[in-house]
Amino acid sequence: MTSGEAGGGMAVLATSPVESGVAKNEPKGRSLWADAVRRFRKDRMAVACLAVIAFYAVIAILARFELIASPWDTVIGGAYDPPSLQSLAHSFGTDIFGRSVFYKVIHGTRIAMSVGLVASLIAIPIGVTLGALAGYFGGWIDEAIVWFYTTLSSIPNIMLLIAITFVMGKGMGAIYVALGVTSWIGLCRVIRGEFIKHKSRDYVVAASSLGASHGSRIFKHILPNVSHFVIINLSMQFMGAIKAEVILSFLGLGVQGQPSWGVMIDDAKLELARGVWWQLAGATVAMFFVVLAFNIVGDALRDALDPKIK
Amino acid sequence: MKPLLKVRWATVCVVLAMASSWVGCTRKSNDPPGTLHLALIEKIKGMDPAQADDLYAGNMVHLVYESLYQYHYLKRPYQIVPNLAAALPEISADGKTYTIKIKQGVLFQDDASFKASSCKGRELVADDIVYSLKRLADPKTVSSGWWVLEGKIVGLDDWRAASTKAGTTDYSAPVAGLKAVDRYTVQIQLVQRNYQFIYGLAMPFTGIVPREAVEAYGKEFLNHAVGTGPFKLTEYNPAAKLVFAKNPTYRDETYPSEGEAGDQEKGLLADAGKKLPFADKLVYTIYVESQPQWLTFMKGGLDATSIPKDNYAQAVTPTQGLTDEMKKLGVELHRSPSLDVTHETFNMADPVIGKNKLLRQALSTAYDPVPLLELFYNNRAIAAQGPIPPGLAGYDPAFKSPYRQFSVEKAKELLAKAGYPGGKGLAPIDYATVSSSTSRQMNEYFQKQMAAIGVQVKFNTYSWPEFQAAIKNRKGQMWGFAWGADYPDAENFLQLFYSKNTSPGPNDSNYSNPEFDRLYEKSLTLADSPERTALYVKMAQMVVEDCPWIMGVHRLNYGLTQKWLKNYKYHDIQHGIAKYLRVDPALKK
Repeated sequence: MTSGEAGGGMAVLATSPVESGVAKNEPKGRSLWADAVRRFRKDRMAVACLAVIAFYAVIAILARFELIASPWDTVIGGAYDPPSLQSLAHSFGTDIFGRSVFYKVIHGTRIAMSVGLVASLIAIPIGVTLGALAGYFGGWIDEAIVWFYTTLSSIPNIMLLIAITFVMGKGMGAIYVALGVTSWIGLCRVIRGEFIKHKSRDYVVAASSLGASHGSRIFKHILPNVSHFVIINLSMQFMGAIKAEVILSFLGLGVQGQPSWGVMIDDAKLELARGVWWQLAGATVAMFFVVLAFNIVGDALRDALDPKIK
Repeated sequence: MKPLLKVRWATVCVVLAMASSWVGCTRKSNDPPGTLHLALIEKIKGMDPAQADDLYAGNMVHLVYESLYQYHYLKRPYQIVPNLAAALPEISADGKTYTIKIKQGVLFQDDASFKASSCKGRELVADDIVYSLKRLADPKTVSSGWWVLEGKIVGLDDWRAASTKAGTTDYSAPVAGLKAVDRYTVQIQLVQRNYQFIYGLAMPFTGIVPREAVEAYGKEFLNHAVGTGPFKLTEYNPAAKLVFAKNPTYRDETYPSEGEAGDQEKGLLADAGKKLPFADKLVYTIYVESQPQWLTFMKGGLDATSIPKDNYAQAVTPTQGLTDEMKKLGVELHRSPSLDVTHETFNMADPVIGKNKLLRQALSTAYDPVPLLELFYNNRAIAAQGPIPPGLAGYDPAFKSPYRQFSVEKAKELLAKAGYPGGKGLAPIDYATVSSSTSRQMNEYFQKQMAAIGVQVKFNTYSWPEFQAAIKNRKGQMWGFAWGADYPDAENFLQLFYSKNTSPGPNDSNYSNPEFDRLYEKSLTLADSPERTALYVKMAQMVVEDCPWIMGVHRLNYGLTQKWLKNYKYHDIQHGIAKYLRVDPALKK
């Protein structure tokens, strides 16, 4: 899952740490970021996948503001009308209450993307902060944090998710938090490892001898140099959250009263017996492309950003 | 008590079936020919009669344990007949003293706990009846079936109170109203005349248990079964599979030789007078999901099944006949009304919803039963107008509840009168529900209907045991529930509104109305008569007016049986009917 698990034996490679001042003084060199963008753009597949993600994001935003496929819960036909070409709304058929499956897929996109985004926004600060503290300070802080995330990760993830949704009750809020607080461990490990590696590097030692405080060393000096891991992790995190939301909703623990791919697949479990395949098809196809796109983009980002793989 | 999930009940009922290959395509089986293969749809909570408070456990318990009375298998309306008892009780003129003779020579199944007789099962005697009924009253048993005897037998409530106070139970302490007169005679003294009392003696709760086994197994008694019944438990995996073998020491009990009109033609009397049970082996498999159960039936691996809503069109034509696919298999369709009612309960203990009758009436009027019947029951149900199902005295086919005639306008009007015009000012309704796909779909439907009058609904999802606990603790403002008859008397439905039965008792809406209580108490002392029926009708109408429930539906039970399964007849009340069933191995080839 996570790329470049920390503590790999490769000590120091050629790439020098990025310091904004340094880059300015060498007009011919490219910054790590510019270099990454250049490499990423060479990967056509990755660019196409990024476009797919952007497309999903646009759909999600439009659906959020009810500019498309709105309202999703109007009855447009009979129960279980098969897909037909009479209108866009009918193109994926209708569900048990005669609502458009196509609209439900669109709104499912909104839910999935929002879960991915918010869960990542919760997980990343936790993972980065704890990883940075553990890696930078070491000692008992490190031990405490490592103990904490090791314990947490020894609990099967799905159990933890179920427990949190039971405690917090059902709804989007619970899902955001449940996925956010259970998915930061991978990132935390990576960041910790990177901090351990970086804290003894020359530029950090130099900063410290110039009187930089701990805070300044952590956030101003080291963090920018490991931030590409956050970007790589984000794409994986995002995809993991989308999948988890679908699973939770399928299990009846997720989204209530709103369309979700997981709920649609749960419906399909019953409906397939009567030959109604379109909810399953709509939800899985929608999910397939976005998960695939995130995977490929995640890989490409790692190739582009990780200086170890060049 | 028999609370059921409304969704599950449809799939429920007794589900029977048999395995092995029917066109040589399925698994090989070592089961002897004539093995019954049946299905259950819920995990079994245990084999202790005192804990058999749901349909699934009740069915299993009544295969091994027997009660004093049972229902006639074929006759309708349902009729009480002796089981362990030798005859119907002799009842004194004042209706208070029951003298019950029990059959002689009935043996308990052989079990390691019978140390005195070197593991051989001993004879059942009147003391066993007294012991078993006392055990139901014992506070240490923590039985959910205590209500069957509560307040009914002279001295038993005091005996229970004394046990609670002392902290230990003294079974030798006498109970004035419950004693063994001689080896084969029990005498029960009632506090007052009670026409429903005998039904309690036919329920799984009052299955007769041997004291040796209860004491030998202690807490583990829940996982053992030592009764007098037709089957012996041989394999016990309460979450997946239960296997029973014919009890070799079962007494001579025979298949009934009379039935109702038409039974002869259906071949239901072909085995009249033959010794029960027919099957040497009985395999119950637990199918929590309906699809595997259905597919196993279709492959011939189950002898009987209910029809899941999503497979309905595959099995039954719009004209209520079997489809060609089913006819080719030679299966038989059984259709009969269930004595049950589903309902959306309002929690009357809730300060908002419980105090506002107009609000409840508004929500009830806004809930359209027609799509409900189509979408979730394939029209295998009728919209309920009151709490009493058809088939019981007190059901009035002409009665239409004014609050179950769907009208958005009228609902809005009532809502405005209730003080919430357009739903303004009303917090989202806190609705407790269980997590299953079909429940979720039903909830979505309810939410949609309420949204039409501006009322928001918020769902709290629980597992089945948590859900029951939440209701017992009066949490939430609404929930969906169903009640299936324990005995063929509308009293079993009306007691759901008696104020002394409020949570944790069976009155889950916590409805309380002194006038209703008065009529209810009066009805208990009346025999089946037009006067009592009139009281039932009146009570039902009071409930409809006060609206502690949104009436749901009365279901029709649809079941399929394989061509080789003989003697199947749907029974609403009797548990453990497997003793009557027979598989014809010749037809299975």
